[in-house]
Amino acid sequence: MASRPTVTILKADGSASGATHPLPKVFNSPIRPDIVQTVHTGVAKNKRQPYAVSEKAGHQTSAESWGTGRAVARIPRVSGGGTHRAGQAAFGNMCRSGRMFAPTKVWRKWHQKINLGQKRFATVSALAASSVPALLLARGHQVSTVPEVPLVINSEVFSGAAIAKTSAALGLLKSIGASSDIDKVKKSRKLRAGKGKLRGRRHRQRRGPLVVYDPEVDGKELNLAFRNIAGVETSSVFALNLLQLAPGGHLGRFIIWTSAAFKALDTIYGSSTVPSALKKDFLLPSPIVHQADVGRLINSSEIQNVIRAAKGFSKTKRAGVQKKNPLHNKQVLLRLNPYAAGYSKAKIGTKGLEAGKPERAAGTQFAKVIKED
Amino acid sequence: MAHHSTQVSSDLIWEIARNQNSYLVKRAQSGNIQFSRDPLNLTNVHSRKNAGFVNDKAVGVVPAKDGGVTLITKKVKHPQRPASHSHSTTLSGKKSTRKTYKTIASNTAKSGYRPDLRASAIARASAIRKSQKEPKDLPESKLRGAKAKKAAAEKEE
Repeated sequence: MASRPTVTILKADGSASGATHPLPKVFNSPIRPDIVQTVHTGVAKNKRQPYAVSEKAGHQTSAESWGTGRAVARIPRVSGGGTHRAGQAAFGNMCRSGRMFAPTKVWRKWHQKINLGQKRFATVSALAASSVPALLLARGHQVSTVPEVPLVINSEVFSGAAIAKTSAALGLLKSIGASSDIDKVKKSRKLRAGKGKLRGRRHRQRRGPLVVYDPEVDGKELNLAFRNIAGVETSSVFALNLLQLAPGGHLGRFIIWTSAAFKALDTIYGSSTVPSALKKDFLLPSPIVHQADVGRLINSSEIQNVIRAAKGFSKTKRAGVQKKNPLHNKQVLLRLNPYAAGYSKAKIGTKGLEAGKPERAAGTQFAKVIKED
Repeated sequence: MAHHSTQVSSDLIWEIARNQNSYLVKRAQSGNIQFSRDPLNLTNVHSRKNAGFVNDKAVGVVPAKDGGVTLITKKVKHPQRPASHSHSTTLSGKKSTRKTYKTIASNTAKSGYRPDLRASAIARASAIRKSQKEPKDLPESKLRGAKAKKAAAEKEE
């Protein structure tokens, strides 16, 4: 790498402020969708609350089996008489009002322990992916109107609780070109299918941008400003969460950084040689493959110098083309029979035989011998 | 390469996004065929060659607002700046289709930008232009049979 790439810091109206900041090292960490996905599935389980059916459900009856000889199944049956319930099968998971199969228990293993190293790897990987516009588009973010990715807004815009009202926040999002992503979220709001509606998950919608700030510099008022905008989430740069950086385990969340938060990234994550100031025993992972452009690798002089020449003919046979008839197509004929050119030039094909009349057999030595008496 | 990180390349992006991306349309009931909704995909087929959001150079042909087509090409220089990352030209619907195709061919293939996409770019433009034509009225149905003709003649009288 010749020079460290820099990122423009934007003003409130979305234009460049003139100030830039070198790209934090965390954005060069390896992008590993496999690690992000496994860590996400684990982490996503850690917010669950235990649930179970009642311990007594399906067992609140004194049913006994009737045994054999009554021409009914040997399942326990409700004793007594006088109601329709008497004589009905009970307890079994196949019975109406029976207990369920393997009743759920509150001591199910609800939470997953993920190794800290893996969690950190996944987080930096998701951060690195958030700086690739193509991955943002692949995640579905509408970023084609955004001036730059990663998108960094000057912290002065937020200073003194300047963005404390939703209208101010909306104006800011609009001026930096993020409004199409907000509109996408708004349009996506749908009623959830199924029972989740009754359980506090009535609607489902897409995720919009994640606003990352530094609470010490930017203050916490921007939380209030952004919280009622559909799909927009806020997070302190010191408490980044994989569930927000890669929702659904899919890389490429659209992140809006405040410049203070962006500058803090190097102290939080360090680099691959300088350990992090805030995380114990943490060095940024470095990618195994530094040049991931396969075409460039193949055409590099290092590779081209050591590979042997390609086998076979310089002219490759084209597949799936119509076979030409050499009798009609002269070029194809010449390819098959180079002599054909000379043959046609000398007009050998139209020349007659120059031998003259054949010698009669009557005058030959052979005839004499045969006719000798 | 102008991506901030040298490890990011279109090869890597394709490997990350080929199984799951917002443009991808997978339909199991249609024989697991995979299509793409990417505006920079000329054939709508989900493939490395046609994936516009993946490749550094890509061509898109979309219908323009008032007839004609818009040709979109990606700029190679600054992939980190999405807002100024594409170049678009609108080719009016009043222009003859041949001229439209010629412009598309010279912008995409002749200039050496993406010569492999010439045929599909022109095919897409052609299909769009065809779809913008006013549909012709159906020909009046002819009367079949002597009975029908007689009935029509009687009705006229």
